[in-house]
Amino acid sequence: MADILIVEDDKDLNAAYKIILENEKYKVRTTFNGQEALKILKTYSPDLILLDLLMPIMGGLELLEKYNLKDHPKVKVLIFTNMENSPEVTKAYNLGATRCIIKSWTAPQNLSKVVKDTLKTNQLSLN
Amino acid sequence: MTTGSQHIIEGQKALAEVLFNSIGDGAITTDEYGRITRINPIAQNILGYSEKEALGMWFPKLLAAYDDDGLAVPLIERPVTRAFVTGKIISERVHYKNKDGKLLPISMTISPIMVKNQPVGCIEIFRDITNEVEIDKMKSDFISLASHQLRTPLSAIKTYTHMLLDGFMGPLTKPQIKSLKTIVSASNRMNETISTLLNITRIESGSIVVAKKPVLIDQLLDEVINEHHLAAIDKDIKINFSHPSTKIRLISDGVVLKEIFANLLSNALKYTPNGGQVKISIKSTQAKLIISVQDSGMGIPLESQPNVFTKFFRADNVVKKETSGTGLGLYLVNGLVKELGGEVWFETKENKGSIFFVSLPLLPHIIKTGTVKK
Repeated sequence: MADILIVEDDKDLNAAYKIILENEKYKVRTTFNGQEALKILKTYSPDLILLDLLMPIMGGLELLEKYNLKDHPKVKVLIFTNMENSPEVTKAYNLGATRCIIKSWTAPQNLSKVVKDTLKTNQLSLN
Repeated sequence: MTTGSQHIIEGQKALAEVLFNSIGDGAITTDEYGRITRINPIAQNILGYSEKEALGMWFPKLLAAYDDDGLAVPLIERPVTRAFVTGKIISERVHYKNKDGKLLPISMTISPIMVKNQPVGCIEIFRDITNEVEIDKMKSDFISLASHQLRTPLSAIKTYTHMLLDGFMGPLTKPQIKSLKTIVSASNRMNETISTLLNITRIESGSIVVAKKPVLIDQLLDEVINEHHLAAIDKDIKINFSHPSTKIRLISDGVVLKEIFANLLSNALKYTPNGGQVKISIKSTQAKLIISVQDSGMGIPLESQPNVFTKFFRADNVVKKETSGTGLGLYLVNGLVKELGGEVWFETKENKGSIFFVSLPLLPHIIKTGTVKK
């Protein structure tokens, strides 16, 4: 099964995503900000990064700028944020994010589905 | 030697001059040709032009006006022109460029000076609202951040509630399931309110991102109807959706469209009594698509109708019946429809119901876009 790196500063949500995705048999690693994620990504190449945008120390956009997805074309990035319709979401797409969904609208079964779809497709959507 | 009446006239002129110069806001008068005849010290201070530089100048030439996007307002649309042509008092917000080339947000009122029903000039009173605009922006930024911070714990509440419902932590009894569903439903309501607040602050601060791409409108409306299916069943309301058999594709923003029709449908369901009917229909002309949402509710009283799209509006008959609501939904709908280059209006009859119409441009339309890769 695919490898997933969760980058989410909220400990409760981070733990919940891990439970939900491990339940679907994904191999999951977790981290709590962009800086920690960058360190992990030096030696680890996940199939998908589940990424929050607004985080302390280093947010999702800065992580995308530094990681540079053009150098890692096989890595999919699923933005999971509460900043709907915001310029930050547009910027994330410009930096190569695969998809963006709104956290507070998403039930666990939908999270698994979106992860599965994102792993399969390159198509971008604002939904 | 001056006569007594000349003396009185001179005195009145001097008094008028003193009064004009004492006005606490910027003040400018023009003659019937739009040439500046008076400019008070505060106007000189705001705009950076001395009396000598301003007097006799053609008002629209000395002071170029710009809209919120920084585009020059055409002469025909300038408040000074409209006030003169229509003979009406006009109050608006514009931007003036001062002598140093800096754009200043201005709140102004311009009135035609009428003599025997003929306009012989205009008087404009205005003030620099830079501070108010900055405070507004700070307020919007605060609401945006506060809304985001509210959503994070709400996401955790929803996610864990769903995990319980999905059996992640073991089987549940029926009353436990019912209680958890109530938590989900209340979280959704709170989420909607936060969403509305966020969208309103984005519209007001001009930072909403509209991502233009092809949208199948009947499919989008089907999705909105499905999302409101439970609310309709709860009140035994039938939703009747009629649309042309051919699929209509328009270039617009699906997320924004969903927000618009979710608000209109949610309102229609809220105000339609149990067992009633809500009708949604699509009609298209060559250039426009008109979608209507009709309820069989209490209608909007005549005296409330001019305020329907204003912030915090709640009609008297609705408030009396204690139907819940924030009064922000239609204000938001109006703002979002404008962002998409469309129009929204309504027809209503008290105790019969209301129909809300949204028209959207069918031809590719130039709107603000976010960059979305395909």
